[in-house]
Amino acid sequence: MAGGIEEGVMSDAPVTMDESPTHPAMVRQSMGWKRILVLMVAGFAIWIVLDATTLQHNAQVSPVGARRTLSLQILNPIAATSRTLQISHIESIANGMLGRNGNVIGYGNVTVLGPTKKPAVKSNSSTTTTVPTAILPSATNPLRVLIVGDSIGIDLGDALQNQLASTGVVTATLDAKESTGLTRPDYFNWPAELQGDLAKVNPQVIVIMMGANDPQDFPGPPDIPFGTPQWNSLYEQKAVQLMTLATSSGAKVIWMSVPPMQDAGLNARVATVNTLQSEAAGQVKNVTYLDSASVIGNAQGLFTPFVTVDGKILNVREPDGTHVTPAGGAVLGSYAITTIQQKFKIPIP
Amino acid sequence: MLFPTIDFAIFFAVAFTVCWLLSPFPRYWKLAVLGFSYFFYAWWDPKFVLLLVAETLIAYVGGQLITNRAATLKARKLWMFGSIACLLGLLAYFKYAGFFTLNVDNLAHRMGMGNIVPLLQPTLPVAISFFTFMAMSYVIDIYRKQLVPARPIDVAVYLAFFPHLIAGPIVRGGELLPQIRQRRDPNHIDYARATQLIMMGLFKKVVISSYLATAIVDPVFASPKSFSAIDSAFAVWGYAFQIYCDFSGYTDIAIGLALLLGIRFPLNFDKPYSANTLQDFWRRWHITLSRWLRDYLYIPLGGNRGNNTEVARNIMITMILGGLWHGADWTFLIWGGLHGSGQVVGHIRRQRREDLGLPGVAKGTWRHWIQVFLTFQFVCLAWIFFRATSVANAMQMLGRLFSGWNTATTLITPLLIVTFIAVMVVQLVPSKVGDRATTWFSNQHLAVQSLCVAAGLLIITTLGPAGVAPFIYYRF
Repeated sequence: MAGGIEEGVMSDAPVTMDESPTHPAMVRQSMGWKRILVLMVAGFAIWIVLDATTLQHNAQVSPVGARRTLSLQILNPIAATSRTLQISHIESIANGMLGRNGNVIGYGNVTVLGPTKKPAVKSNSSTTTTVPTAILPSATNPLRVLIVGDSIGIDLGDALQNQLASTGVVTATLDAKESTGLTRPDYFNWPAELQGDLAKVNPQVIVIMMGANDPQDFPGPPDIPFGTPQWNSLYEQKAVQLMTLATSSGAKVIWMSVPPMQDAGLNARVATVNTLQSEAAGQVKNVTYLDSASVIGNAQGLFTPFVTVDGKILNVREPDGTHVTPAGGAVLGSYAITTIQQKFKIPIP
Repeated sequence: MLFPTIDFAIFFAVAFTVCWLLSPFPRYWKLAVLGFSYFFYAWWDPKFVLLLVAETLIAYVGGQLITNRAATLKARKLWMFGSIACLLGLLAYFKYAGFFTLNVDNLAHRMGMGNIVPLLQPTLPVAISFFTFMAMSYVIDIYRKQLVPARPIDVAVYLAFFPHLIAGPIVRGGELLPQIRQRRDPNHIDYARATQLIMMGLFKKVVISSYLATAIVDPVFASPKSFSAIDSAFAVWGYAFQIYCDFSGYTDIAIGLALLLGIRFPLNFDKPYSANTLQDFWRRWHITLSRWLRDYLYIPLGGNRGNNTEVARNIMITMILGGLWHGADWTFLIWGGLHGSGQVVGHIRRQRREDLGLPGVAKGTWRHWIQVFLTFQFVCLAWIFFRATSVANAMQMLGRLFSGWNTATTLITPLLIVTFIAVMVVQLVPSKVGDRATTWFSNQHLAVQSLCVAAGLLIITTLGPAGVAPFIYYRF
């Protein structure tokens, strides 16, 4: 045996504490805590002034409530001062150099996947394109599928993209962004985003899953509180608007409901959203509404972490009680693919 | 509460002020630190503060019983194992029960039986693995007489101290408890080093880690079949850099925050991708965990004592359990198994060379760099399993590395390559460069320093995305 325990195979070096260097040229000045507090506050304050417009925007798009109100009360005068003194110009220049125009549209994570090396983008006017009555996808003429949604939409989209890629005859585009929905177009404008996607992708099938972030007030003035008849009416209107836009190019649309939530309160709020989305789907031609609870819920359509598929128990929900696991995403993805095959009569393997 | 948020900045400013105001009064200082730490933890889920309190009580009572109620070695051992069993029981329930019951029932289904155990999915409390390991080390160190039992408030502060609470470093009682007991000098705080660490940590996490995740890692791992071999290879390398920037970024911030409160933490990373062997890698990666595994698992199992088979067994057990410490999934088990296998091969090879009178690791500049390259590739191979959502997902990733050569590369950009090179180069830059910058900063006027801090924050927030994802190690 060449080495003893001290020369062990595992990491055998003593752990060193984060110490000050001893070389005279490297010796650092220390400071008292009060001066450090001044440094922290001053550094933070200068940063707030420099970054005021972004911070103000972030506050504006945060959920309606006391925190948002307070943040805006603090940031509005600072941002106004920053603009007056042209300080915000520094940030604008930086954003310009990074290609950010301050418009939220286009910030979604767009990933296009497909079996061919050719981009699926077509610049034709999407509004005049019509889907042929019989779609026969092949490797050279792949079916164009667009998947959009929020973070749960990403859970579905990641799995569905992989499933569709495996067929070899589908080009799947995922455009999804966390914490988005229909209630806060000031944060993320889905109709505008979808308009861009339609022009870029010219999809034949669109899969949409969003709504878990929507049980919140519409910002005003005046704010429209969640749960009121006005809110319900406006939300349904926005859902119809998005569905109408999605089908405007002739695409067939699958709207997947928000899955049941573990938290009873959140589940009740999500149920309201689902009901309104379902009613909206009934008003728009070529929209198929799928109830996700039928495949990843329990027999009563409520939250369950586990479902049995083909004799195998799958953990379909994340421990947060909200999101869907990759296995759950695959179950939802299969549900969407079955609908494409059986209801839309599109033969994909 | 995530470190890179306004919420945390406000929280820390208050905690910093209150703690230093109470610094002359040790008892109140400890109560304040504990209160802030529990508040910090409760931000996620207040009910799990009870879990933290429970583990504190188990550790404290266990330490007392080992010292005061055990006349014989056997009794001491009994109390020690009893305490460890309680701590591991909590960890097992919250972290492994779901995985265990799911796999048992699936096995039963295959054998034609129904569910033989009720399926469970407990909510995983944030950081349970970290504070459980710290509580275990406290009890074991007392059993080994390397530590004397501390007062309840000291044990509570030791386990809950908010800079290390969520993702380490896994600090030993012998390192932190004396610092908790002694008075800190309010006039000599190494703020320049703390500022450097916090800024670097924020930059690594908010800018680099976030960028790599969205630019290549997440899309490719989500749908491996859709990307080319080159995209897949870059995604694997990208993940190696992402997790390094994410975790070492967290550690940097934690060490910096603690330093501002007058507490020093051990280092947790030392340029891990410059390692030329796997053994060297584990000296540099998550140092406080590998030290924990060495001292409380590997050496008690027998360490290097015994023949090759016994040493290999000890290594494999240690590394597989180390893998499972990260999460309850087959992917983590395979990750640990790969590192264990690599270390066993390295051990045998090293021993054979030493038997021939050669140095354990071949010397020479070119050889060194080839070793560094190969070690990095092996670590990356293992990262595939660490990152993958399932074994099937990992196999798809591996498959694409060999089969995806006919697919066009879509995600490789000049910025991505520059980022890769920058992260790798930083691994090779001597730490003196950072020390010089810190010394320069410490010699500036307060106004200049404030402008530097503001400029640093502006760069980070401008280059970073609008929202920040939780640290990867929060899950562990």
